Amino acid sequence: MVTREDVENIALLSKLFVPEEELDGLTKSMQEIVDFANTINNAPASDEGFDNINNLSNVFREDEVVPSFPSTEILKNAPEQAEDHFLVRNRE
Amino acid sequence: MGSIAKIHEMLVGKQLSCAELTKSYLDEIDKSNSVLNAYVNVTPDEAMKTAEAVDKKIAAGEEIGMLEGVPMTLKDNISTKGIETTCCSKILTGYKPIYDATVWELLQNQNAVMLGKTNMDEFAMGSSCETSYFGGAANPFNTNHVAGGSSGGVAGAVGGNIAAYGLGSDTGGSIRQPASFCGVVGLKPTYGAVSRYGLIAYASSLDQIGPITKSVEDAAVVFDAISKQDKRDSTSKGSAKATFDTLDNDIKGMKIGIAREYLDGVRDDVKEAVLEAAKVYESLGAEIVYFDLPILKFALPVYYIIACAEASSNLGRYDGIRYGYKTEHYNGTHDMICRTRSEGFGEEVKRRILLGTYVLSAGYYDAYYKKAQNLRGTIISAFNKAFESCDVILVPTVPMTAFEKGNAISDPIETYLTDICTVPVNIAGLPGVSIPCGFNKNGMPIGMQLIGKSFGEAEILNAAYKYQQAQPDKFMDTKWGVKL
Repeated sequence: MVTREDVENIALLSKLFVPEEELDGLTKSMQEIVDFANTINNAPASDEGFDNINNLSNVFREDEVVPSFPSTEILKNAPEQAEDHFLVRNRE
Repeated sequence: MGSIAKIHEMLVGKQLSCAELTKSYLDEIDKSNSVLNAYVNVTPDEAMKTAEAVDKKIAAGEEIGMLEGVPMTLKDNISTKGIETTCCSKILTGYKPIYDATVWELLQNQNAVMLGKTNMDEFAMGSSCETSYFGGAANPFNTNHVAGGSSGGVAGAVGGNIAAYGLGSDTGGSIRQPASFCGVVGLKPTYGAVSRYGLIAYASSLDQIGPITKSVEDAAVVFDAISKQDKRDSTSKGSAKATFDTLDNDIKGMKIGIAREYLDGVRDDVKEAVLEAAKVYESLGAEIVYFDLPILKFALPVYYIIACAEASSNLGRYDGIRYGYKTEHYNGTHDMICRTRSEGFGEEVKRRILLGTYVLSAGYYDAYYKKAQNLRGTIISAFNKAFESCDVILVPTVPMTAFEKGNAISDPIETYLTDICTVPVNIAGLPGVSIPCGFNKNGMPIGMQLIGKSFGEAEILNAAYKYQQAQPDKFMDTKWGVKL
């Protein structure tokens, strides 16, 4: 059973605001999706486990230093920047 | 002959220049994009620049490669250096990647002419392209219908002849489903066959880049070009072998399996078309084997649990600090991040982030995520077992044909059900190709899917090509775009 409080809590964890007027609708829609997800409980018990696809294994390599992207390039996409850093104001 | 080979011949034979060809594609985009809405960003300057470089090579008598000078497009979640890449989300508006995706790097090395970036469901989350921040793409067979999703823009552009081919991405059917809806070919490669470096992540253990093309031979040419191991994607292996050279191999004795569960709940016209295709295969000397795959009924919930869980983690990076949209007014950083995300993400994306967070949160992790991962293992084993008795599996791509616009988003579960035939392939990491196999009574294309063993792209493309040769009428053109 998904409650309004569940949705509020999950939204907080997801860093999303849910407006009060959307809360009931979203709770209902979440309940429907969770009911749908619950159908996996009818599946036969399985200890199969899952590690990864196609038997991929870790590839180790030498830890070599290679040039990365220049910070000036990276900062071009920032909404705000100052002195070669991302700028985050406390309020606006 | 495929469109790519045809264009190659025209360029080499100097029937027209690459600049002229590119110009005619750009003109057609100008004319039809207001209706098809396939492109969200057209890049004429870059396209013409590459076209002129190709013309110079041809004029100098240099040899050109198969993909050189061929006008194409990329889905808007594939990173293109200096060219806006938005995933069709408000939250990434204005974002210009500072590096190229590996697939785009490989194609640029072959002087591919990119016409622009194409429409998609926001962050590839959807089956109709209608969750796009820029509005949905129309189906070139009937513009009142959707192009499908999430790679609806690529499929619409290729079906509408305003790109010779394109690259999409497929997490739960996002290449194959729109290809099926738009009457074109869509290949979802084996997980690891194509590098995901530069593909903006939705669900990393399911995502894979692949071609959408007019013909099977085009799909083979493009797949062979992009399937390379890449050290920047630790899950990439590259392809085991090239697919183009074996397209025309005899399929006599090939065992084609049909899982009965895949035909459950499929509309009659789609089922008939697929069973008709099975008869075509029999006439070509293949053997049809029926088998059961009961575990498939759990594939869809398993998919949504895993995909949303991974999405909730992958989309945690959008915080309004480093790139993309940022809210205007806020009080404190928590408030800023929440407002940015709430204003920047669309409804479906938020729904999936919430579900993903729910299944990963304390108290629910074992019941949902862990259980789904175990079932994923079971589904993989079931496919492995199925492949002991057949070489490829033949199933519908989608249980229906393209639906009318506006009908998809109202009921999420109903919409999720359209993915029922495509998600098992992603869960198991297998290759699948969708090709046209008929039309419904309203003339909308029906698609069928050939599923192969891991890294079995050569086998499924071989089988697909043989069908295309036997049934060329199923590969019908639309009235739109450039006529080669």
